Amino acid sequence: MRRYLTPFLFLSPATLLILLFFFTPVVATILLSFTDLSTTTFQNPSWVGLKNYQDLLADPFLKKIFLNTAKYVALTLAFNVGMGLLLALLTSLVPERYGDPFRALWLLPRILPPVVYVFIWQGLLAEAPMGLVSDLLGVSKNWLVAAPWTAVILANGFVGASFGMLIFTSAIRAIPRELFYAAAVDGATTWQTVRKVVLPLLAWPILFVTAYQTLSLLTSFEYILLLTDGGPGFYTTEVWSLRAYHLALSNYFGNVEFGLGAAMAAVLVVIGVVVSLFYLKIFNFKALVSEPKIEVY
Amino acid sequence: MKAGRFVLAAVLFLGFALAQKTITLKAWTIGPDDPSITRLKNLEAAVERLNALLAIEGADFRVKLEGDFDTTDWDPYLRRVLLAFQSGEAPDIVQASAAPLIGVWATAGYIAPLTAETSRYGTFKDVFPSLWNAVTFKGEVFGVPQDTEARPLYFNKTLLKKLGWSDAKINELPKRIERGEFTWDDMLAVAKEALDKGVIERGKGYYHRPKNGPDFHMWYRAFGGTSYDEATGKLVFDQEAALRYFTWLKKAVDAGVLERDRLDGNWSRFHQNVTDGKVLFFSGGTWNWAEWKTQWVKDKGGEDWLWENFGFAPQPAYKKGGKPITLSNPQAYMVSTGSKQKALAAKLLAFVMMPDLDARHAVGSGHLPVLRATASLTGDRFIREVSYLLNYTTFAPQHPDFPKWQDALYRGVSAVESGQVSPEEAVKVVAAEMKRALKDQVMIK
Repeated sequence: MRRYLTPFLFLSPATLLILLFFFTPVVATILLSFTDLSTTTFQNPSWVGLKNYQDLLADPFLKKIFLNTAKYVALTLAFNVGMGLLLALLTSLVPERYGDPFRALWLLPRILPPVVYVFIWQGLLAEAPMGLVSDLLGVSKNWLVAAPWTAVILANGFVGASFGMLIFTSAIRAIPRELFYAAAVDGATTWQTVRKVVLPLLAWPILFVTAYQTLSLLTSFEYILLLTDGGPGFYTTEVWSLRAYHLALSNYFGNVEFGLGAAMAAVLVVIGVVVSLFYLKIFNFKALVSEPKIEVY
Repeated sequence: MKAGRFVLAAVLFLGFALAQKTITLKAWTIGPDDPSITRLKNLEAAVERLNALLAIEGADFRVKLEGDFDTTDWDPYLRRVLLAFQSGEAPDIVQASAAPLIGVWATAGYIAPLTAETSRYGTFKDVFPSLWNAVTFKGEVFGVPQDTEARPLYFNKTLLKKLGWSDAKINELPKRIERGEFTWDDMLAVAKEALDKGVIERGKGYYHRPKNGPDFHMWYRAFGGTSYDEATGKLVFDQEAALRYFTWLKKAVDAGVLERDRLDGNWSRFHQNVTDGKVLFFSGGTWNWAEWKTQWVKDKGGEDWLWENFGFAPQPAYKKGGKPITLSNPQAYMVSTGSKQKALAAKLLAFVMMPDLDARHAVGSGHLPVLRATASLTGDRFIREVSYLLNYTTFAPQHPDFPKWQDALYRGVSAVESGQVSPEEAVKVVAAEMKRALKDQVMIK
């Protein structure tokens, strides 16, 4: 019994937090999704079983919203991970006195409050003479409306890239110097060093950043909400989590559908689990966390 | 001796003061336009008057108001109110649009009936009778009308002159719209001519609001649609009328009269282009006049500039000889069910129903008064000249599911305008969405 006590003590705070802030909301969301809870039924909700899920399947716009979500996650993820990796490599190749300030600059979008950050984007993308992009391109357009996906992906991407940049930079710095010396002695070019030494050793951080960012993008919608609110036009940039929010908490005259919104959120939980398992499989998670066959002292 | 009396009086006064209770009433109000701050200021003035009366009556309590005026937007405000209702933290008084919110919130049990209170106080008797319909749900009064408005079709007189219209022809335009002689198609033709002759830029022949709102329901009705069936109490979606409306929108976009990205959600851009004098026709609200006057054209001459450059009329009919239309979305003060001071809150609302306060709000915010006595008090030219639009007004149906109906219609408008689907497909999309969201509560015709 005593042998279980120490692990139990160490694990219990984290377990409690996970139960409180992760597990309980998921269970509550799933329970809500089986009710007809809305503004008008809030005081007397009824148990409706799978009806909300049937309603979702009958929604003629669900396919469009699903495809929007896939597009948003895939393109933003590619930008986040790719740009994060590029920034980490470039800033690691130059002396720290240049690399560190440059990385600090890339952190600015992350530390800005989203509303202020989006306000800046709206200003940049406005029509001339206010909009900088219109001025630079010489074409006066409301670019947020003319190219909404580009705006959404870049606005999210500039925030997301800094996360990957930090993780990859610390991983690159953790690579033993000897490996770089050995590569140099063997006459490897910079590109060959990156490809043959650095990238293989970044597999675990890349898996982590990719998996984390995928799940984060699936559920985050605040920048889309503030930039386009799912528009312009007909569900142009409406993604799954934003649709769930609109159904559950936003409706022009306030008759919101909590039950239906919860059903959408519950589906998102399932998608998140499936995607996580997929990543663990393709990145061969077991091999990544297994005991090393050779220990170097 | 005198000093003794003075001390006694002071002690008695102090004793009364200490014995006097203060009852705090909380009130949440919204513009979101800045000039509508009088929705809160009038409540504050009413508290002062109520306290003065309480002092005369020798009451052992006074009223204190903790008020809030929201200038963000309807969506976050209504979410805040809803969450407050659900958590039992709602203020005593909430101001919001009467229709359909009274239907929604009364069905949910969040707001208290005020039928008895509105009969008790004489000040309520002067309210325009038609406005009581907007605050009545299933035979019970659930709110007190705060203001009303109309949503005119504005036109830029300067641009029409550039197009060759005489002053007489411009001044005659509202009458022609009233008689059904100038329709939506005529407006489209004039705007197209203005575009072809270089009087306006592409897309600036006609502007409507940049995001969801009650106006889309109004335009659907202007094209002959009905939204409510009195006999069954169900909502209605008229596919033919919707097709007429959507087809007009597509024609306007294709002709370069209406921007394809008009639904950009940006009110500032709407007001900027309108008050820069770039837009020929634009649908707005009477309250926009106050916003333009105080915020957008203040440096150009304020209201004088507006009278010189802008005219207004009802929204046109869709066919010759048809009836024009506008929509009123009266605001109402409501008392929350959770309030422990419902009677006092209702009494306070009786003190807001004063012609001077009603006039102050109407003139300052560009809304229309709710009391008959107010009209004689205010000499405001805009209020006087725009009030005739109420002859053509309509209201949103007081049905708890109307928000879903409205959202579905808006999806259709956004789909057509952005060019993503044809008008025919958009009608099918809206009908399908209404069937999904409203089930047996909507009749698709």
